[in-house]
This record gives sequence, structure tokens and C-alpha cells, in this order.
Amino acid sequence: MAGEGSKFDVVIIGAGHNGLAAAATLGKKGKRVLVLERSGAIGGLATSYEISDGLPISRHAHLAYNLNPTVIAELGLSGKLSMRPLATIMLSDDARHVEIDGETIRFADGSAHPDGEAYKEIRNRIKKFAGLLAPLALRSPPDPGGGLSLAGAGEAMPLAALALKLRLMGKKDMRDFLRIVLSNIYDLALDDLPDGPLAGNLAADAVWGAWAGPRSPGTVFSLMYRYGCGGAPLLPQGGMGAVAGAFAAAARQAGAEIRTGVSARRVLIANDAVTGIETDKGEKISAGAVMSSAGAVQSMMLAGAEHFDVEAVRRIRNVRSKGMTAKVNILLKRAPDIPGLSKEQMAGRLIAAPTAIYVERAFTQAKYGEMPAAPIIEAVIPTLADGGDRHAVSAIVHYIPRNLKGGWDDAARARLTGLTIDTLARYWPDLRDNVERVDAFSPADIENETAAPGGHWHHAELSIDQLLTVRPVNQLSRYAFAVRGFYLCGASAHPGGDVSGAAGRNSALQLLNDGVLA
Amino acid sequence: MDKQDSYDAIVVGAGHNGLTAACYLAKAGLKTLIVEKNEQIGGAAVSTEMYKGWIYSNCSYVCSLLRQEIIRDLELPKFGLQVVPYRGRVTFSDKGEYLASYDDAHVKRREVGRISPIDVDAYDRYYQLVMRQCRFIRPFLLRRAPDPTSMKPRDVGELMFLIKRIYDIGPRDVGEMIRFWTMSIGDFLDEHFEHELVKASMAGSGIIGTGLGVYSPGTAYVLLHHYMGDVDGSMGAWGFARGAMGAVTKALGAAFESAGGVIKTGSGLSEFIIENEKVRGVALENGDEYRAPIVASNLDVKRTILKHIGREKLPPEYVRAVERFKIRGSSGKLNLALDKMPSFPLLPENGDYFTGDFSCNTSLETLERAYDDWKEGRWSAKPYFDMLIPSKIDPTLAPPGSHMMSLFIQYAPYDLNVNGVRSADNWNDETRKAFADAVFDRIEVCCPDIRQRVLHAEVRSPADIEREVGLTEGNIFQGELTFDQLLFNRPIPGYAQYSTPIDGLYIVGSSTHPGGGVMAAPGANAAREILRRNGKGDLMPALAEEEI
Amino acid sequence: MMKAQTPRSVTRTLAPTPFHDRLAELNFLNSWRGWNGFLSAEVFECSEKEYFAIRNQATLMDISPMCKYRICGPDATRIVNRLIVRDIRKVKVGRVAYAMWCDEEGMTIDDGTIFRLGEDEYLLLCAKHMYLWLHECAWGFDAAITDETEALCALSLQGPTAFSVLKAAGLEGAASMKPFDTREIEPGLRISRTGYTGDLGYELFTAPENAHSLWDRLWSAGRQWGICPTGMEALNLARLETGFLAPGVDFQPVHLALRRGRGRTPFELGFGRLVDFDKGHFNGRRALLEHKARGPRYHLVRLDIEGKEPAANAYVYHNGSKVVGHVTSAAWSPTAKRNIAFAELEAPYGGAVRDGLFAEIFIYKEGAWLKRNKKAKVVDEPFYRNARARQTPPNAF
Repeated sequence: MAGEGSKFDVVIIGAGHNGLAAAATLGKKGKRVLVLERSGAIGGLATSYEISDGLPISRHAHLAYNLNPTVIAELGLSGKLSMRPLATIMLSDDARHVEIDGETIRFADGSAHPDGEAYKEIRNRIKKFAGLLAPLALRSPPDPGGGLSLAGAGEAMPLAALALKLRLMGKKDMRDFLRIVLSNIYDLALDDLPDGPLAGNLAADAVWGAWAGPRSPGTVFSLMYRYGCGGAPLLPQGGMGAVAGAFAAAARQAGAEIRTGVSARRVLIANDAVTGIETDKGEKISAGAVMSSAGAVQSMMLAGAEHFDVEAVRRIRNVRSKGMTAKVNILLKRAPDIPGLSKEQMAGRLIAAPTAIYVERAFTQAKYGEMPAAPIIEAVIPTLADGGDRHAVSAIVHYIPRNLKGGWDDAARARLTGLTIDTLARYWPDLRDNVERVDAFSPADIENETAAPGGHWHHAELSIDQLLTVRPVNQLSRYAFAVRGFYLCGASAHPGGDVSGAAGRNSALQLLNDGVLA
Repeated sequence: MDKQDSYDAIVVGAGHNGLTAACYLAKAGLKTLIVEKNEQIGGAAVSTEMYKGWIYSNCSYVCSLLRQEIIRDLELPKFGLQVVPYRGRVTFSDKGEYLASYDDAHVKRREVGRISPIDVDAYDRYYQLVMRQCRFIRPFLLRRAPDPTSMKPRDVGELMFLIKRIYDIGPRDVGEMIRFWTMSIGDFLDEHFEHELVKASMAGSGIIGTGLGVYSPGTAYVLLHHYMGDVDGSMGAWGFARGAMGAVTKALGAAFESAGGVIKTGSGLSEFIIENEKVRGVALENGDEYRAPIVASNLDVKRTILKHIGREKLPPEYVRAVERFKIRGSSGKLNLALDKMPSFPLLPENGDYFTGDFSCNTSLETLERAYDDWKEGRWSAKPYFDMLIPSKIDPTLAPPGSHMMSLFIQYAPYDLNVNGVRSADNWNDETRKAFADAVFDRIEVCCPDIRQRVLHAEVRSPADIEREVGLTEGNIFQGELTFDQLLFNRPIPGYAQYSTPIDGLYIVGSSTHPGGGVMAAPGANAAREILRRNGKGDLMPALAEEEI
Repeated sequence: MMKAQTPRSVTRTLAPTPFHDRLAELNFLNSWRGWNGFLSAEVFECSEKEYFAIRNQATLMDISPMCKYRICGPDATRIVNRLIVRDIRKVKVGRVAYAMWCDEEGMTIDDGTIFRLGEDEYLLLCAKHMYLWLHECAWGFDAAITDETEALCALSLQGPTAFSVLKAAGLEGAASMKPFDTREIEPGLRISRTGYTGDLGYELFTAPENAHSLWDRLWSAGRQWGICPTGMEALNLARLETGFLAPGVDFQPVHLALRRGRGRTPFELGFGRLVDFDKGHFNGRRALLEHKARGPRYHLVRLDIEGKEPAANAYVYHNGSKVVGHVTSAAWSPTAKRNIAFAELEAPYGGAVRDGLFAEIFIYKEGAWLKRNKKAKVVDEPFYRNARARQTPPNAF
């Protein structure tokens, strides 16, 4: 119980966007919320910094493509985010880049792409199925323990609704859905497309952030997850920090207090129920509930493993979060010049993944902890749209293993920088001479800065065996985390990562629903 | 037309599933004919003389999945089938270590404990978990896969049976099951065990016959597929057919003939005779024609549909779906006639290890890298093999004192990559020899004198197996065992109940539910469907036994 | 830690214990069975003689195959308390506690005895392998778990003259030991006043190299007190009389169950009193709270069955028609002169409903099966109990 006279109903650990979404959701329901953030800045993986004076850039995540519209609406963020939709440019080393802009698929020079229709058919089919699954992201996972009771039937409702919608799609689509939902993107793409930039696009979009190659079963699902809210990439003005800032503003407006530079030392527990939290400064803050947006293992350790059943500890230890993504920001000396692209196109989402097999080969090396010869890259040059004369590239470099053989040190980081520039230079030869400065963040750096386990942006691999009722682990999928009043609210919980806000929001609603604060 | 040439049912292909289906059709009173392209029946389960005095199984080599209910129902022992359970298993590593498996649970524990004490109890837990999954899945093997889009009572009933079984296992195990069925065998083993050799010794079953690597999600299910059989009720045990695997198909053939069936061998199928979207019979390559209103194809779905029926006779969407069906050649065979028993100096002398199977793979990484080679169209530099010395179990398979050795090899691509060109035609004597050399190099890790012992070697690539047996890409399962091709998705969504768009034409081989291995369940299930659709459902015995 | 050289091969027979040579000399019937992979005597000469020696003289039994684990380190107490359902903090140093432990669903994994050797040092004795489970219990805590199954060999000295044997063997220091006391009575020799027979008895633990001398010492001291070796068969009868459960017989250890529904809670096994909800979290606590609120699904009860024929494997009926459970262990008790059994009954039978129970007994006599329905009475107390088992200091009874 929240002690009489205690100032807070809920303490939330971590001011990433999920922690903030939880705070705002609870605040709106009249709960007194305190958010603790160990670093000096809010945002977690969604922060910005100045790469050069007056030139903000996203530190880690840089595009929003999965912001949940329900969360946006509930938090009142609709008009408050300034974001620009981007076309996707699939880079090709023969300068015949391919532009994907909604329903328009063409070569960068404007000529029609012969496989455009086939690509759209696959993509739109996956989007359609993704839309079908999307409502699941806004509910706690079904409780398989609900059984045949009335409550159990209620739990099965979202699944029943999904089944009904599946049926209403007609036999053909239903069969197609059941066939492909657990399959791999490589086969799905190449069954109907020649291997090239369009297949590369599907392959790459299915594996960003993942410890999986396009040939790995489950990658069609991860693409559906990406497309859950439409999947259109949006570039936030001022970098991702602005998005987190909007979440923070919503939380504050709802009455939440956010303290930065304070971390939780441990969760205080008495009689198998949370009583509050002790900070690293030794301050004890009582509260009726504590929510953690940290990873599953870290959250468990904050409460103490002794409060978890042995089986639960084992499951939590076995959560896979082998980070595969690095971030490289490049300050340019002068305006970029990529052969074959107009200035508008250069301002798009530039992807180095020329074929599906290229993507698979990068994974083939990285899965053994090796730096791939050619990683896949998603780069944006956010400054182009702003019209200034200073430019910087923000690049997500994928298949850079957290568990690099030999470990991460300055030399390894230098290799990452070189690899990124070499890879981009295949399409943009001029880049080599245009580099003023590079900030490279290895997965290990990302883990250190944000506490994301393994530097993994989903906190726990988004594979089928770590989804829904088994996310993050079996028996602990409904946000409540073993001890009464202790909740998970980060990406390791259902539905998973990306800047979406769903996990934090769902967790807050589950907390309210569980009656812990009553 | 000669009356002799007309039957009630024709089965194309005398593999074990074709034979099983034919047995049930004949026993139900249908005048049934089997046509087989080879001179002998058996498909991939044939015993022949490889070298003077050395008898071997041509492709399949061990027997566990063969449903006991079918063996019993068709009285196969009466027709000469004798299945002997085989014992033990040894896995060697490159580092001079080995891990053996023993019958006695305590000896087995000691053996695991010898190299990794913490993995001893883990093995028990792992085995419980796998067996729990086997218990769950076994009743489905001899049932029809429900069509989830259908509202027919049969389908709804099957679906309810499935849902009820899931409900019955309880919420905790539902979660464990979801994980197991969707995980990679590598991740699964990493969760359970610490020692690399312990993991490696168990991982092989997760990849045998597939185009997946040990870290590909879904391979834990493939492992299950190899564990869900039994010998004399002992779940997960493997057996050896006395007289090699041909004994299985010979017994089935004899059972079929004793039920009044007719077998014609020596000429392959030219095409299915189709008139007005109905099958009318078959035309053989030698010009013979046989008529029947029911034709059951034991060929895989790709061969059945794409090679022997004109496209214009089929719905285009169905043809596309068949084209998309994945049948990937990933395994080869090496059969060796040995002058005498080769030596295994790493093994202690206190026991007989040779009635089990052997493999040599140091770690999960060795296996995953073997898969990476295959993805690029090369055979694995360090291939995984499953090696048996059948003559140690059945001494009649080789002249006294000599031995027959059989290896199943993973991975070998169908479309071999030579200088950037991927083609099945790249398999020739030269590449076959180079492939065999890679395998011999691996055998030498545990058996250094193997090359000296060989009197005769037979190497078979996936392309060779395709040519000889007729399996597309030489794939042992007639289709990958991935989710998109299992249960109601196998082989084609909407056609998972053995039928095709052609009225009267059925597919009865391993391309259909529940899939490959010498299981005979697809054949029996298909016969049930065929009989039911022809108003003779009551003539099909209920095979599934009550699970206790 | 230095990695020991991996042995080249393992023993492929049942393994002899350190006492095996001595046992083999006495095992006239050469009747052995496997116990945890070790050779264990089933009967030496006559199980009836061995049983009566337990109740009348003194007996020696080799219990070396018991699984033995040492838990040692600053967090040892927390680990043990995390493992078991009772509060180990209430057990003083030098005492032994009977304990059960459960999985996350509150289902019993095993039972056994825990020796508190020191503030931060415990020895766990149990029937099933727990090495991995203990390691998992200990994850995140600071203590070492070692498997001492082979590092410690053990003898159980049981019977009314057991103390007299100790005294004659120069171990009269055990006189002051109360039931469930344990101490290192001599360097390298640990003794506890425990056993599985319900009679006066002790268990002695030492290193394998001292096995022969310990055996010889007790054996020669025991001559004048009628010492007799006992095998599993005699022990099984004694343990049933006194009401000790046998894992795998009277309940299904849940880790060894494919069918998870076969697991049972301590409440259902009649050991609810051991469960201490006030000690903080322990494994299965939350599930056990729910089970306690919901009430047991089964009752494991003691039955006194009319007639003389043991009711092994019998179904238990209520009012002659409805099967409500089955007998798990049964025997004619020569000491209590009763036909006794453990039976598992579905609730409320054996709980609220205790009347009208019958055991359906099948008896094979010279080529024919006879069926007998015998009245069965639920009994709360153990069938056999004797004050001498608890008297301190013990006499020569």
C-alpha cells in the first residue's frame, strides 16, 4: 500500500518514451507519478545532441515509423510532433537507385520499375495483415491461465476478434496469412521478385534491430510488426529527442514529476508487495507501485532475484537480447552529393541493402560475432530539409554485433566508422573526402548509455518465441513482474520496441486494472 | 479397352506411403494397382546389393517414425518386417573428445557428467520437455489436419480437438510449447546446456533433411519430428529394420498383394489422364495406360502437379502455390563397403558402441557454419554426418568380418555452385569425389583408418537421389518442415487433406500432413480421406490409440 | 578453479559404494538393485529377519547412494530458505530438518533432510538429483553448491540397541544428542540422530577412505547387540509403518513428471504444517497461497484396512461404487499388527469425507486371483510410534 503521506503512487524507473508514456497515462488517471532517469537527459534511445553548434541530431534512434496513433491520441500529442514523411531510396552501386514513396515505386531517375507492382503486392499484403494484428499491440497479452472462466473468456476476446477478422477477410487471405505469418521474408520476397533493391528493401525492413537474417523464419512477422502502424518513416524535426520531449511534456502536464541524474538502487518490498524505491543516493521514496522500463534482467535484479521463483529467474536469464545495431553520425564538410539522386531524394531514407542475399550475408558473418564485410545501413541527412548549409548524416548500421569477437574498444569503433563510410561510399564516392567528424556508437556504447540490454532496441529479441504471452518470458507476460505492485513497462514487455509507446501505456493500464493502487 | 486395364484405384509410386495407402484401399475392397518406375518397389526405402555381398538401404536407413499402429494393423511382421531397436550414439569433437550415450539412465548421467557435471540434470529436464511435446503431437499424426477456414463439422471437430489438447496441457506448458515450437534448436540447447559437445550431440536432429541451420527458428520442431516416433512404445527410440529398410517396403508390398493388389514395376509415369477436370487414370512412359476413377500419387507435390499434369488443366493460383512449395535438397549419402571393422581409437574399450549412430561435430557453431556453406551452394566444409554400421546390428548385411557403413550427410546443395554458377548439373564424378573427400576428412577425426578400409564407396548427391528415387531435389521429407508447410499448410493451404483441384487425384506422400520420414502416416491418412470421399469411410480402421 | 582432467571413460556397471566389499560378504542371496546408479542390497538373507532387527536389535544400512549436496557461503541460508517451504532460520546450527521443496506451481519436487552444519553451511540429503536445481536456486546469491554424493559415504544405524552399539564403538558422546541433532563426533566423522525407520537411530557420514574402518568398528561393536545388515525391502516396511513418504511411490516428484497434473502440493501430501508463509518469498509461495485458499485437490492419507492381505495397487472406492483414489504403498505391519497403507484420494475423500471407504484388493493364490473389498479407515497418527525413539539420553532398550 502506498504509505499514508507518501508523495507518490507510482515510481517509474527510466525516462525513455515508454516510461514517459506510462507516466502520462497514469497521471491522466489522477495518479501521482515520479519518473527517475539515471542519465542527465530524458529519452532513453530517443535523444538528440548537437553534433556541431546548433546542429541537433538523433543520438540513437532517428526515425519514427511505429508511433502508435492510439497512444498519440490518448496522450494528446497529435499536433505537437513536427515530423516529415520520408521517401525510401534503395541505393544501388550502379547509381540506378530505386525510390519507394508510398504507392510510387520507380527508379530515382523517374523511370518505371518493372517489379514495382509485384513489390507493392507483397508489401501491401503484409501491411494488411499487420493492420489485422495491430489491435493486439494495445492489449495486455491474453492470459492463458484464464481458462474457461468468464474472465478467461474475456481474455480470449482479442484473439477471438482476430480470428473473426481473419475469417472475414475470406478464405484466400486467411490461408495466406496462416501460411506466411511464421515464415521468412527471404522466400516470401524472392518467390515473386527477382533479387534486387526491392527484395533488399523487404529483407532489410524485416531485420533492423534483429538478431536474424532474412532467411530466418519469423522475419515476416517482424516486418508486420514494423508495419503495425503503417510503417511510413517519419523524420522528427530536431531529432528523436523532440519526440521524447513531447512524451515528457505530456507526462508533466499530467502531473508527473521527472527527476534526471537519479537512478534506482533497489525496489523496496515488504510482504511480497512493493513499498517504494531506494535511489542511488540512498533516498527512500515510498510508493504503491514501481514500474521499470529497464530490461527484464535488470528489472529483476532491482527487486532482487529472491523475489522471483527459480523457474522465472531462469526464464528471465534466458531472454535473448543480442544487440546487432550501431549508430554512426557523420558531420559533413559540405553539402552531400550522391550520384543519381536529386537533393530531395538525398533527403529521403537512404538504404544500403542492394539485395536480399546481401542482407543475409551480412548476418552470416555477424552471427558469429564478426564485423560483416558489408553491413546494411539506413541513413538520413536530416539537415537537407532544413535548408541550412551545415550537414550531417545519421546512420543506423545493422549487423554490428554487441558480442564482437575481441570486444569493443577504440580500435573496434574505428573499424565501425571505416566500415560505415566504406559501405556508404559505394554509392556516394565523394563521402570519403567530405567527412569532418564521426561519432560512432557501438551496440556496447548504446547499452552503456541507455541500459538497453545488449544495446538491443527491442530490449528482447522480437522473435516468435519471445512474443505475446511469452514476452518477455512465459508466465510473466502481463506487465506485473512477480512482486505485487512491480511492473515492467519497457520494450522487453509486450508488444516490443520501436518508438511506439504501446508497452508503457499498456502497462500503466494493466496496473490500474489490477487494483494494486486501490 | 481391355477390361484388365481398368481398376478402382491406382497408386503411382511404390514408396512406403504409396504402398501404405494402397494396402488400405485394397483391404477396403478396391481393385488397386501400383505402378512404379523402378524395377523394384520401395522408393527411398530399398535394400539392394551395393557390392558383392554388401547389402544396404539405398536412402532411408533407420526406422522409428513408422507408426506402430500401421505396422500392427497391416500385420507387417507377418510379411517379414522385424524392427530391432538400436542402441547408443557417439559424438566426436575435433578436440579429441567424445560423448557417448548409454541405455542405462545412470550410466548415461555419468557419461554426461564426465565432460560436464552441470549438464547432467539438464539432460533429464531437456528430455522431459521434448517428450512432453511428443506426447502432445503424436495423436495428430494419424488424424486429418483441420482446415481452419472450413465450417464443416469434421474440420471444426478436428480444430476443437486441437484446441482442447492445448487447453489440457495448462497455461504454463502452453507457453513452453509456443516457445519450443518456434525456437531454433540452437537457442533451445543454449538455454539448457553449457558444454558445446553436449549441445552438438543433440543438435543434429534439428537439421537433418532441412534447409535450415541450427539457429534458424523452427528447428526445435524438426528435432521433435525425429523424436516423436517410437519402437515398441519407447518414445524417441530408433530402430533398424532387419534386412535394411527394404524390409519395410517389401512387407508393405507383400501385405498389399495378399490383399489382392497388383504391382507393376519398370515403367514410370508419363502423365495423369485427366478429362473434364476428373482423373481417369495414368499413362506410363512405356505407353501402357491404366484407367481408374481414383489415382493416388506418392510423388511429391511438385512432381505430381508440375511434371505430370498440363498447366492448363489446373487453376493458376494452385500451380503458383505448388511452385512456391519449398523442397530443398540439403543432404547427401555415402555408403561404404569395408573390408573389416575400422578403428575408433578415441573410444574406450569397455563397451560396444557400434550399434548406434556416430557423428562428428564440435559445436553448434560448426553446424551453423555448415549451413552457411550450403546457403551459398557449396557442400559444407565440415559436414555433419549421421553414421551407422548396420552390419553391426544385422550381421547378414555384409560378408562375415566385413562391414557396411552408411552415412547421411548434411549439408549438400542440390544446385551446386561451381564458379558462381548454381546448377544440379554441376554434380559429376569430380565434384562427387571432392564432396566424399570432405566427408572422409571428417570421418577421420574419429576413425583414422577409414580410407584404408574402403573396398567400395558410393557417393550420392541430392541430384543423384532425385534422379534415382524421384524425390525433388533429393529431399527426404518431400518438402521443408517449416510452419508455412506444416499441418493445414501442408502441402498447399486449402489442399491439406490429400486432395487436389483434379477430382479423384490425391497426393499421398510425405509432401502431405504430417510430413516425411518413414512414417507411413500420410499414406494411411490419405487412404482414410479417399475412402471417406468414396463413401467407404467405415472400411478404414481407426488407427490412433488412446494416449495414457 | 583448475579444471580437472576429463576422464576417458565411465563405469558402465552399477557402481559399488565404498562399503560394497563388506556388504558383499554378508549378502548371502546376492540380491542387489540399483539405487541412483549404485549397487544397493535388496535383501541380505531374509527381509523379515532384517525388519525385526530394526525393531528389536540394531541394523546397519548403507545409505551412501543418497544424493548429498553442500551449500556453503554467505548467502547459504537465503538459498536454503528460497528452496524449501519451511523457515530454515528457525533451525539451529547442529540440527537437522525434514523439508519439502516445490516448483513455481507449488508442486512438490522432492523431500529430504537438511543438516545445518554452521551458520552458513548446510548439507542436503534427498532421493533425487538436485545439483542443477540448487544451482538455479543459488543464481544471484553468493554460495557454493557442491555435489558430495560420492565424497561422503554414509551408514544408517537403526534399532533399539543403536545407541548401545555406538557406545561400544567408543562413540558414547552421542548420548546427549536429541532427535534431529547432528555433530562432528570425531574429526572426519559426522553423526546425526536421524533415520527412516521411526525407531532409535543414527546416521553416520565419513569420507570414502574411512568407510571400511567405520563399518568394522560398528560391526564388531554391534555383535553383542545383535547387529544385522538391512536391505531396501526391510527398510521399506519400516518406513511405511512410521509414516515416511517415498518419492516416486507415494507422490510423483514433479520434475520427473511428463504429465504435470500429477504433481502434488505439500498440503495434499499432508505436510501443510511445514509451509511457512511468513518467512518471505520461497519457491512456489504465491502458487501455494492460492492452493491453500482453494483447498487441496487430493489427500494422501494413511489407511487401516481390514483383513491381512496387503492392499498394494488397490483402487479405493467410496460406498462401493465410486473410485476415489488408489493405494500407493501397502503392507501388513508386523509390529502394529495392522494392515496398513498410504493412499491418495481425491478431495473431499480423506479430508471431509472419511467414512465409507473400501479398498479393492486382488490376491493371487496358487493359480487364481481373488477379489476382496475391504473396509478402509483413515488414520491420522503413524501406525508405529515408540517413545524410545525420542528418549535422551537413550538406553539400551
